[in-house]
Amino acid sequence: MKVVTWILRIASIVTFSAMAYLVYWLLDSNDIWHWNAPYDFIVTVFRLLSLVIFFLSSTMISGLSSAFAGGDLPNDLVVGLYNTLVLRTWYIQPYGVEGPLVNLQQVWTSFGANMSSVLFALWDNTFLFLYFLCAGLGIALFLQSLSKMNHKSVGGAFLSIQAIIILASFKLLIVPNLDPFPTDFLVFLGDWAQILAIVSFAYLEVSYQMIYSYSVGKPVEDREETLKKQLLALRQATRKQDAIERGERVTSTSMSRSTSVTAFSFLREAIERKVVGTQDALENLDAVSDVRRLQIYVDNLLQTDSKARDELTAKAAAPSSMYIIGSTITGFAIRFLSVVAIAFLLMSPVVLTSLLDLPIGIRASMEILQPEMMLLLFLPVVLLFPFIAMVISWFSKRAEVVKETLTKEDKELEKKRKKDLARRRKEAARARKEREKARRKRRNETETKVDEWDKALEEVYRK
Amino acid sequence: MITQRGFVVTFAGVLLLTSGFSFVNFYLVLLGVYLVIGLVVTLPLFALTANLAGIEVDRQIDKVKVFSGDFLRVRVTIRNVSRRHFDFIEVHDQYPETWILAIGENFIASRIEPGSSITFSYILQARMRGRYDIGPTEVIMRDRLGFHYYKRTLKEKTEVLVYPTWKDVRRMEALGKQRQLGLMFGAHRTKTVGMGADFAGFREYVPGDEFRLIDWKTSAKTGDMVIRQYEMEKNIQVICMVDSSGSMGNGYPENTKLEYAIRAAVLLTHIGLERKDLVGTCVFSDIVHGFAPPSTRPNHMYNVLEVLAEAEPKGWSDYETAIQYVVNNTKKRSLFIWMTDLEESPAPLLNAMKTLVANGHKAMVISPFGPWFEAPVGQFGPVEKVLSEAVSEELWERRTKIARALARFGIEVINVGPEDFLPAIIKTYNQAKQKGVAMF
Repeated sequence: MKVVTWILRIASIVTFSAMAYLVYWLLDSNDIWHWNAPYDFIVTVFRLLSLVIFFLSSTMISGLSSAFAGGDLPNDLVVGLYNTLVLRTWYIQPYGVEGPLVNLQQVWTSFGANMSSVLFALWDNTFLFLYFLCAGLGIALFLQSLSKMNHKSVGGAFLSIQAIIILASFKLLIVPNLDPFPTDFLVFLGDWAQILAIVSFAYLEVSYQMIYSYSVGKPVEDREETLKKQLLALRQATRKQDAIERGERVTSTSMSRSTSVTAFSFLREAIERKVVGTQDALENLDAVSDVRRLQIYVDNLLQTDSKARDELTAKAAAPSSMYIIGSTITGFAIRFLSVVAIAFLLMSPVVLTSLLDLPIGIRASMEILQPEMMLLLFLPVVLLFPFIAMVISWFSKRAEVVKETLTKEDKELEKKRKKDLARRRKEAARARKEREKARRKRRNETETKVDEWDKALEEVYRK
Repeated sequence: MITQRGFVVTFAGVLLLTSGFSFVNFYLVLLGVYLVIGLVVTLPLFALTANLAGIEVDRQIDKVKVFSGDFLRVRVTIRNVSRRHFDFIEVHDQYPETWILAIGENFIASRIEPGSSITFSYILQARMRGRYDIGPTEVIMRDRLGFHYYKRTLKEKTEVLVYPTWKDVRRMEALGKQRQLGLMFGAHRTKTVGMGADFAGFREYVPGDEFRLIDWKTSAKTGDMVIRQYEMEKNIQVICMVDSSGSMGNGYPENTKLEYAIRAAVLLTHIGLERKDLVGTCVFSDIVHGFAPPSTRPNHMYNVLEVLAEAEPKGWSDYETAIQYVVNNTKKRSLFIWMTDLEESPAPLLNAMKTLVANGHKAMVISPFGPWFEAPVGQFGPVEKVLSEAVSEELWERRTKIARALARFGIEVINVGPEDFLPAIIKTYNQAKQKGVAMF
């Protein structure tokens, strides 16, 4: 299975690279791939901040000094000197500010003039930055998906790369488009936008097939690995106990405590009960004997049953690699072709008009060329598939939850048990009543004759 | 059913479609269509193939009755009886929460061919006594890309009866082995003078003694009529009365008063059987839940274990009903060892003892004192500490009164905690053997 996973991993790398390159190449005409875009974005953010701080500090200082000077604004010389000496040596020279600004009015005018240009620059740089951010995120998630085999990473990588095109569309840049949508299937297939869409879809398909191949083979491999670790940890724990019993000094060379902890929960419990590794261990006889008994049990099992090891590892459950390769290719081809064909049929305006027999007014209108028109066929077709699946499920009488079926004998036994319990309760209650009645009667009859036990009981209450 | 992965693809598809509509971009719309169609296009095929009714699960276990702390191998076989491939199948076999998965995993994920089967196994440690079910088994089938799934829960369960722990017996045997001493070390065989073949000694003749027992030689030497006495070994009959009322369930899990009482009963039965004494057990609360009459049959231990395994702390203690039941079913004189926390009203207990003594039986009470089984007082805050001390005092006072009342009729009450519960029962048994109480 590892081979199949590796083949699909390579296919995933190829398709992702193709998708990423096509996005880069198709958007390159917009001149957006400036490698200093992230740096520019950060610089612009700092410039904006410096401008705001400069404006606020100048205004605040002038306001404060006027408050102390009896309501008069400070002298131009003072303001100019402050602005020049203090703010310039701050290394946050406000964007677009040149020369000393000698009074508050000049500061405000400068702020008003520069703020809009800084904001516009920030707007542009933000998008450039976002393209790089999405690309970086996409690559990071893609690399993560190769090792973690996580569908979230695959989905994230796919969406991050597509987000570049969504953002570029929002910025009204030149992006891959199929406008007008081709009426010829071959033209449709040869269009670069269509090729990018196919490659993107192929990336998702191949990556999910890769995860399938991994997850169908991995549990069996993991089981084998886990069993090996568990047996090793168990043997070493037993040896360690023997060494402690012999009074030998136990070192943690053979297996660290953390290794044994990760090995399996049973030994972890034993360690929590201070079984392994300390002299106090012997005091806890139960825990020691638990580990030892498990060792004996497993040894016996492996000796007496030749299939025991294979069943514990579930070796036989490993699927054959050849079948996986074959079914992956056929499944991929069927899905791929059907998706492309159905998508063309749904989106092509010619199919739409001929199928729905729309009036000439609509057929000749501009609306038919709008992307939303595909919804007319898309929604019913998309809902048709789950509907068919639902009908099939009904007919195949799939039992999602199998109701517990008690045999007739079981039911009778259960009934008998309940009946017996009720009878015993009833009998006990009746006996209690009778005892109480007899006691009351006796008390009334022989008031003078005091029973020794009753006397003792009375004494108990009296004391 | 759509999976989380399927929802992610749906979200991506809808995002691309709406973006395409907003920015009039056919590429985004096309990609959105690809994703959504890709998600649903294989759904009918999956529904056609994924008929989980074609999956059968069979569970096998080595033993259906185990001791608490024992290991048990569970083998699960999954069979595909249909004519279709199941691309991705997950099987989770559930086991009781209190048990520990010692070796292996109770889960498998694989694909399964038509007509073939997969077998996996795992080893569990049964932790607490009682009746448990292994199962149900959950079978989940996914499509290759993991967009859709069907789930089926197979309710077939395998019942396992877990006997009380055997560790006390093991420990006692281990200690015996360490001392290199025999089974009867420290045990005193109960002897009865009068009959038998072993010579026991002389005593003066009293009218009514058989002439054949007169030892003429000794009589001649001493000048008084002396008769020879013989003795024979006899066994005793003990009945453990285990109170399983609600209050006996108090304490730390696995270390409740009831659990200790059950362990004590197991130990006592084992020792008794080893020494050919008759030991019976009765578990009762407001009714008699189970009674294993005294016996020396080889499988008697298992009868006792089954009675004890199913004891649950609930209800209240009706001593009178319990004693009536046991007395009716016991012919010989017995020593009744009550294991009860004496937290019920004393009147029924005293009445029960009255019945017991009237029928010629002997009794003693080994009473676990509640506060000793619960959280140490050191762990409490000041208010809880004061309250717990007050409650303890009240309970102690109460049981002292009951003990005093019972002592008047020769019934001893031994207050025990978790540490001395088991030693107390062994001591009581040995004393009974020495004194020759309840011989048969």
